[in-house]
Amino acid sequence: MKTRRLIALLLCLCMAAALFVGCGKKEAAVSDSGSADTKNEEKAPDNKNDKTSSEDNKADASSGDDTPSDTASSDEKPGDGAEATPSDLQIILPASSSDLQTLVPEGAFTIVDMTGREIVLNGPAKKIVALTASDCEIIYALGAGDLLVGRGEYCDYPAEVMNVPSVQSGYDTNIEQIIALSPDVLVMSTMAQTEEQIKQLESAGIKVVVSDAQNIEGVYTAIKLLGLLTGKSEEAKKIISDMTTTFTDAIFASEGDGTKSIYFEISPLQWGLWAAGAGTFMDEICNMLGYNNAFADVQGWGEVSEEQVLARNPDYIVTISMYYGEGPTPVEEIASRAGWSGVSAVANGRILNLQNNELSRPAPRLAEGAKLLVEFLNK
Amino acid sequence: MSVLEVKALSVSIGRAELVKDLSFSVNEGQWLMICGPNGAGKSTLLNAITGGYAYSGTVLYKGESLKKLSPKKRAAELGILAQNHYVGYEFTVEEVVALGRYAHSKNVLGGMSDEDERHINEALSLTGLNELRNHSVLTLSGGELQRTFLAQVIAQNPKLLLLDEPTNHLDLIYQKQVFELIEKWLEVPGRAVISVVHDLSLARAFGTDALLMDKGRLLSSGDVKKVLSPENLNSVYGMDVGKWMRTMLSQWT
Amino acid sequence: MNRKTGKIRFYEFLIFILISFAVICLCVSVGSVAIPLKDTVRAIFSAITGAKEEGLAYPIIVSRRLPRVICVALTGASLSLAGAAMQGLLKNPLADGSTLGVSSGASLGAVIAIAFGISFPSLPFAGTMVMAVVFAFLSLLLILGLAYKLDCSFSTNTIVLIGVIFSMFVSSAMSIIITFSADKLQSITFWTMGSLQNASYKNSLILLGAFIVCGGILFSRARELNAFAIGEDNARHIGVNVRRTKLVILISVSVLIGVCVSIGGTIGFVGLVTPHMVRMLVGPNHGRLLPASAFGGAVFLCLADLVARILLNPLELPIGVVTSIVGAVVFIFIFYRSRKGGR
Repeated sequence: MKTRRLIALLLCLCMAAALFVGCGKKEAAVSDSGSADTKNEEKAPDNKNDKTSSEDNKADASSGDDTPSDTASSDEKPGDGAEATPSDLQIILPASSSDLQTLVPEGAFTIVDMTGREIVLNGPAKKIVALTASDCEIIYALGAGDLLVGRGEYCDYPAEVMNVPSVQSGYDTNIEQIIALSPDVLVMSTMAQTEEQIKQLESAGIKVVVSDAQNIEGVYTAIKLLGLLTGKSEEAKKIISDMTTTFTDAIFASEGDGTKSIYFEISPLQWGLWAAGAGTFMDEICNMLGYNNAFADVQGWGEVSEEQVLARNPDYIVTISMYYGEGPTPVEEIASRAGWSGVSAVANGRILNLQNNELSRPAPRLAEGAKLLVEFLNK
Repeated sequence: MSVLEVKALSVSIGRAELVKDLSFSVNEGQWLMICGPNGAGKSTLLNAITGGYAYSGTVLYKGESLKKLSPKKRAAELGILAQNHYVGYEFTVEEVVALGRYAHSKNVLGGMSDEDERHINEALSLTGLNELRNHSVLTLSGGELQRTFLAQVIAQNPKLLLLDEPTNHLDLIYQKQVFELIEKWLEVPGRAVISVVHDLSLARAFGTDALLMDKGRLLSSGDVKKVLSPENLNSVYGMDVGKWMRTMLSQWT
Repeated sequence: MNRKTGKIRFYEFLIFILISFAVICLCVSVGSVAIPLKDTVRAIFSAITGAKEEGLAYPIIVSRRLPRVICVALTGASLSLAGAAMQGLLKNPLADGSTLGVSSGASLGAVIAIAFGISFPSLPFAGTMVMAVVFAFLSLLLILGLAYKLDCSFSTNTIVLIGVIFSMFVSSAMSIIITFSADKLQSITFWTMGSLQNASYKNSLILLGAFIVCGGILFSRARELNAFAIGEDNARHIGVNVRRTKLVILISVSVLIGVCVSIGGTIGFVGLVTPHMVRMLVGPNHGRLLPASAFGGAVFLCLADLVARILLNPLELPIGVVTSIVGAVVFIFIFYRSRKGGR
């Protein structure tokens, strides 16, 4: 009888545990589901991984060539960028990368990834598996797409990446599959990946490099890191300077005066409204362009009350909902919501639908996203 | 007139044949005692008649196949008192008894007519439950619970009463009361009773007829005194039943 | 209480209505955005008279909060009614759509509908709903079949066991479907989390329809449910058509759960907690228990929704989190008590 009672109690506890795990899972599901590719931005921007502070950042905005050298030489040219720089430009400028690499003894070199781990490489990587969509994008942008022998299941840009064999990523990363692809290097992010996975991969002789961009500066760091990794540092420089130029143009073109607000919608009403709050790329770009994020008081992504959207009355709405080609488009759906007709953005038809993760993925296309956003805001 | 006629009844559950080729009939005014040792198939027989088990053979109620009666109609004619009762919720005694009127009510929402009320009150007072009528069944003793369900089946006002161990759990005083009560109930013309009993003395004292079963088979049926004869009983129970009964009785002299 | 006839008395009915109405009023007037009571009343009044109202009160109160509160109340009433009916039918206070896994089954149906794009041309949102109802019913049949095979009755252990097994089965089935339909991944995952933010007057109407039809059927089977709650054998003995009644009740319960799940996602434990609480108040007689459970469920879910809406303002909690926290505690309490009761 006693044992039966004990079993019953155990069962109870299990149920309770399952329940609470279930609750937790719900939240985990949110981050997982949104789209695996945009995981990074959910975290509040804690810059512990970004060893570069903006003070180091003395390069000149106008001269792309003078962006801090990120190749083998670690010496900075402090005098170079001494001219007065608009303070809001600082954040878009590439950070010094002296910490990324050290020296080059006959092909072999050491790089420091974005969690501060030191990885010794015998030379530029020949075969790479990249688990996050953003890293895949960067690798293609660097012109190193042919080095990819595997990709995470959610990587979808550019279209060529779909031809690369996909592996399961996240908590259930398929280590066996990755080992079977025999890459030199695996690139992953911190989100939904574990130390354990890194250990397993390293014991299989695969170098693991972690990218972890929390803001635009982090994206630059990631691009440089992957440039080093693939032996395409020049291309990395080019991409960064292109991005800076695009951002600069966007800022100059923007008519934002700090009075108008934008509401960034991650998930439509049907599934519960999710908004992008502080610490997201959308928030960063929104502020950069001189607009206010309507949900700046929310950290990361959060399910917000619909009433709050109505009460905050945003001047612009940007939704990243996907459109599958049936029913109303995301813009039409927002415009048709009951009670929303009084919202300034709806009343004035200022709704933008960005479907290709331009503003949510820590990749070179962020600059393009900023450009699209400015075009929309200036309309 | 025959109330219930059972012809070649067999009941199988899985591979086990619990009742084999049984035939008997019950007439108005009769009280048929079903006797036999444990596992003889007595309860199975009752359950089959009330639709609890699938069976082969025919069971005729007043000449009509029982299978053709709707559940409600059957319940209005046949009442059964089960052996074991377990109630999960805190129903009151009266609520349980009132459910006995289910078969007679035409009101879907469960309103009680005066006749329903009369039957319920009668059943409650017959079984001595008047004072307990608002008590929760979960607080009752085994005997009180047994009487509650007896009251339910009496409120059901059937023509044929099937009782599975009606004095199970009951004190001596209630055993007596219940049997006297059923005897009185039987006085109304057109009624009949079938009951499974373990106590052979009670069976002989109150029964008019008897059915002796062993291992699912019918051994003997007919007048209670003839069926429960020493020879029959000795062969079924494998002991001298009469001698044992007399020994028991001698304790009181 | 008028326990004899098992019917709810008029004044009791009136009390329930008044309490529910008061809670609904509270939920309409309190929310994420503070709107003065005066404006709230005026907005509702202008909605009734048809006058167009300027300002924030009208869109927030009339377009959003009111339909949501109505949807929540109806969902609570339906789920709780379904729970009460199942607990009676299976004679076990732990039986409920969420503990047995019927809700998970329903959401599996809905996910299949989303993944394979099942829809009916004439009814735009009916695909998920019909599939949810059908799967709720199929899961119920499967669960009952399994339970009967296990021990022919619905002991507490059986219910807990089956619920765990079936829920696990459903979640793995769901994973498989999600794997095979990566393009709909976003819709599916967001759907499984469920949200009543999508509440609208149209949804309210669907819920109301299901509630009136199925609720009516269940109310009319109150006495049969009483008999089942005493015991299935006893039900047969007093003349209940066991098979047919069971089928009717199971279908009604499936429709209620399926419709609720397809509109608001899986909201656990409402059907477990409210009937249990209500039973302690009005007793187990379904003539009273069913209507009281419906009112109780509406009140409970409205309050849970209120907490979900305002606790982390401006963020919203999923309503299921609130009900599950309350539900888990009550679940353990009932489980412990039923074990102590010597089953």
